[in-house]
Amino acid sequence: MENEQSYQVINESPRSKKLTWLIHHFQREWRLYIMLAPTLIWFILFLYKPMYGLQIAFKDYSVFKGITDSPWIGLEHFYTLFENDQFIRAIKNTVIISGASLLFGFPVPIILALMFNEIINPKFKKTAQTIVYLPHFISAVIIAGIVITAFAPSTGVVNLLLNALGYDSVYFLTKPEWFRTIFVGTGIWQEAGFNSIVFLASIAGVNPSLYESAVVDGASRWQMMWKITLPCIMPTILIMLIIRIGNILEVGFEMIIMLYQPATYATSDVISTFIYRQGLQAAQYDLAAAAGLFNAVIAFVLVIAANTISKKVSRTSLW
Amino acid sequence: MSGVKLEGVVKSYKDVTVVHGIDLEVKSKEFVVLVGPSGCGKSTTLRMLAGLEEISDGQVSIDDKVVNHIAPKDRDVAMVFQNYALYPHLSVAENIAFGLRIRKVPKPRIEELVKEVAHTLELTSLLERRPADLSGGQRQRVAMGRAIVRHPKVFLFDEPLSNLDAKLRTQMRAEIKQLHTKLGVTSVYVTHDQVEAMTLADRIVVMSDGRIEQIGTPMELFNNPINTFVATFIGSPPMNLISTTITSIDGLVYADISGNKCLLPQLENPCDLEVIIGIRPEYVDIVPVDNSSAVPIHVDLVETLGSEALLHCRIQESAFVVKVDTHGKVEHLKHLDTLYFRQDAITVFDKTTGRALSRSSVGCNA
Amino acid sequence: MSQIMNMNLYSRGDKAFVYINMFLVALFTISTLYPFIYVASLSMSMGEAVTSGQVVLTPVQITFAAYEKVIFDSAFWISYRNTFIYTIGGTLTSLAFIVPCAYALSRPQLLGRKYWNIMIAFTMWFNAGMIPFFLNMRDLGLLDSYLGIIIGFACNAFNIILLRNFFEAVPPSFEEAARMDGANDFQVLWKVFIPLAKPAIATVTLFCIVSRWNGFFWAMVLLRDESKVPLQVYLRQMITQLSDDDTFSSSLLEAAYSFETVSAAIMVCSIIPVLLIYPFVQKYFNKGIMLGGVKE
Ligand SMILES: Nc1ncnc2c1ncn2[C@@H]1O[C@H](COP(=O)(O)OP(=O)(O)OP(=O)(O)O)[C@@H](O)[C@H]1O
Ligand SMILES: [Mg+2]
Repeated sequence: MENEQSYQVINESPRSKKLTWLIHHFQREWRLYIMLAPTLIWFILFLYKPMYGLQIAFKDYSVFKGITDSPWIGLEHFYTLFENDQFIRAIKNTVIISGASLLFGFPVPIILALMFNEIINPKFKKTAQTIVYLPHFISAVIIAGIVITAFAPSTGVVNLLLNALGYDSVYFLTKPEWFRTIFVGTGIWQEAGFNSIVFLASIAGVNPSLYESAVVDGASRWQMMWKITLPCIMPTILIMLIIRIGNILEVGFEMIIMLYQPATYATSDVISTFIYRQGLQAAQYDLAAAAGLFNAVIAFVLVIAANTISKKVSRTSLW
Repeated sequence: MSGVKLEGVVKSYKDVTVVHGIDLEVKSKEFVVLVGPSGCGKSTTLRMLAGLEEISDGQVSIDDKVVNHIAPKDRDVAMVFQNYALYPHLSVAENIAFGLRIRKVPKPRIEELVKEVAHTLELTSLLERRPADLSGGQRQRVAMGRAIVRHPKVFLFDEPLSNLDAKLRTQMRAEIKQLHTKLGVTSVYVTHDQVEAMTLADRIVVMSDGRIEQIGTPMELFNNPINTFVATFIGSPPMNLISTTITSIDGLVYADISGNKCLLPQLENPCDLEVIIGIRPEYVDIVPVDNSSAVPIHVDLVETLGSEALLHCRIQESAFVVKVDTHGKVEHLKHLDTLYFRQDAITVFDKTTGRALSRSSVGCNA
Repeated sequence: MSQIMNMNLYSRGDKAFVYINMFLVALFTISTLYPFIYVASLSMSMGEAVTSGQVVLTPVQITFAAYEKVIFDSAFWISYRNTFIYTIGGTLTSLAFIVPCAYALSRPQLLGRKYWNIMIAFTMWFNAGMIPFFLNMRDLGLLDSYLGIIIGFACNAFNIILLRNFFEAVPPSFEEAARMDGANDFQVLWKVFIPLAKPAIATVTLFCIVSRWNGFFWAMVLLRDESKVPLQVYLRQMITQLSDDDTFSSSLLEAAYSFETVSAAIMVCSIIPVLLIYPFVQKYFNKGIMLGGVKE
């Protein structure tokens, strides 16, 4: 009897063997698929379905006809966009604001991490860290609210200080020349502390015996910071830099929406705020979707490039 | 009666086969130990038995019931892991009770069982602690407690003692043995430590490269290894192997060692052969005895262990280790120049296949 | 770094370095804190004192008039309640999606695991953007509804990957031991992995709570009905009025509160819950963020 059975098992074709294996697999593991399914459905419904909707960038979208039935018009929206000075300006502003944030904002968390690392009193260190991480968790609305309040022409603390120093009040938020400074500065104030976490973690991974031998060799703390800590976290710095460059099209546009006004559009209007105004406020969905697609494709290329490079870097930096 | 049976069990990952058709029957209440070098497939075999790994071919049965496609939880087996896998967020009592809770055993009954197990393993005073607050040996006992509380049909152990220091390992080894005697549950135990295997097992299964080399009681393996692999794997220090040729003269078989003729046990079909002869370090004499042949040696080093000493010598340019009783003195051992091999203590292996040549007459271990 | 705790062992230069460094860190910390203190002081000052530019650091003529004004404003309470609904409902929904999914993705026996992972990670690199997302929400009938806000933002790839990485790092013997003990996947997740992954889950929970509590853009876009609007949207209306027009405050010049103090009071009310939960979860996120950041 038993022999016969095992013969049957052996004689099964590979295909039906695979099938029985699948059946057994699902009998055993169906719960995993139940756990996975809702999220996959969510991704399809809320993130992949809109990708299908992206086709309106090439269509003359009409609300009544819907996405599928609106007529194709090819690249017309893109021609329109690139003839639009506002869009060109938005690209320029995006790159400038992002670039400035990177240039001035990138070193700050590194310096902060190095400084935190040199603090000896653990309580002081912990308290300081807790405080500087905090702004990251505060909403753009409130941060913007604080900025608006602090820079208000007659009551804000900044102008009060200027007055005290004998200068006239400046209505900062209506001055295009001030917008970028205020925006980038606020960004650094809000995120530098939180961004230092990555570097602190990297510093924590440095082999302690390096410092011990340096102490024995008579190195000062300043020297150890420059000669040991900084070189050891260089790979992390490099990778973070590459990732940041890859995300250069990403600006905190919630904050911009809060802070900008027509008077400052010349310097403050970025791609996402342009899309918001064209699409959601002026209901030019197809044109705005085209702008969005352009943005998304460039961003995708940049991010993938950055990722590839950072992987290479992290591999080579191991050696 | 809960025996375990593996028939032609194969395990492959994609293209690599790591277990090549294992046949093994573990009788009810038996304690079987799987030994073998690292990577030989011991854990894989055990995990297939547990149901943690699917089998690629063959058949696993527990209690005469085929369990190939039965989930681990329904096989009624319990396993002790190398790293214990104690849940860090649960107390000792909760760790032990975990399986019972999952199986919806009534609360009072759980308490009773946990108490009983805690008593058996002397864990009663530790029940409220977290695993992080226990010593290595205590953790080990909790892991055992978690296994025995369910009264499973089979216990599976995957190197449960390898995270302990040498002394604790010896102690826990004894405790496991006692526990097995007391509970009499069929057990399969994986280790790469042959001492553990020898002391614990009713029967030992020696594996290498995903195949079973030999199955037998510790003494069978020690005295009659089936091939050179088992011969060198079992026993510490391992069996000495010497390559040589044999000649038969007047119906007696001799091996040529350093120019001397050394009498061998009777073989079934002796002819002029390239062979390997194996001699256990313990079975070598330093004074002439009956039925023994003298072999010249040079002693390189004497390792003193106390009541015994290990002589590291050379015979025909190959290393040779001898274990002798010191009787309190070691000085004279350095100057030995002759060893005596008893005829019945020699195992002969075929040089090409490595397999032991069968003897014609009564074996040496009588 | 191996810290030598005893300052006496330091050379003079090192001591100076340590103190200067400490001073600079303190300075940075204070400058981080100052805007919050400023806003709190504004909210507790007399409106008149604010409009005449007397408040710089500490409250002037302490009064809680602004808070009284806020407390008796029903729109504030409605938006506050809504924020709680979105935060609690949204966070629980997110966890209900993310945790089981991350667990399933972390199991090697899951078929097509690689492809599901790519499908989820891809959305981090490419997304359709604002307009198609909005049109999709509209087509799904999720405009102007609580459900739209709660479900529409339930998942994100980063949180799933963070948690998945944590689950992957749990030694397989925990799952195996639980399985031998008779647990099925649901029980393994609930009784073993969730307790083990507490730091990671706390981190993800914190991220969810914070993004829900702070989120305003999509609430502003998707919600028309004033009675469904969350606090941040309400706050934005207040603040934009403030920045648009200086005349509002002058009309209130004589009152105990001014526009500035009222909006400061609302900001404080909005920050306080964040401050309350922050210390509890703070200790987890160092670890949690590293987990998520390193892989992929
Ligand atoms: N998922 C896998 N894919 C491919 N090969 C594997 C896989 N898991 C295990 N192996 C291989 O199977 C072989 C047997 O592994 P197993 O864990 O059973 O060894 P072991 O005898 O328990 O060794 P040790 O004493 O080191 O624990 C090893 O060579 C291992 O490399
Ligand atoms: Mg193993």
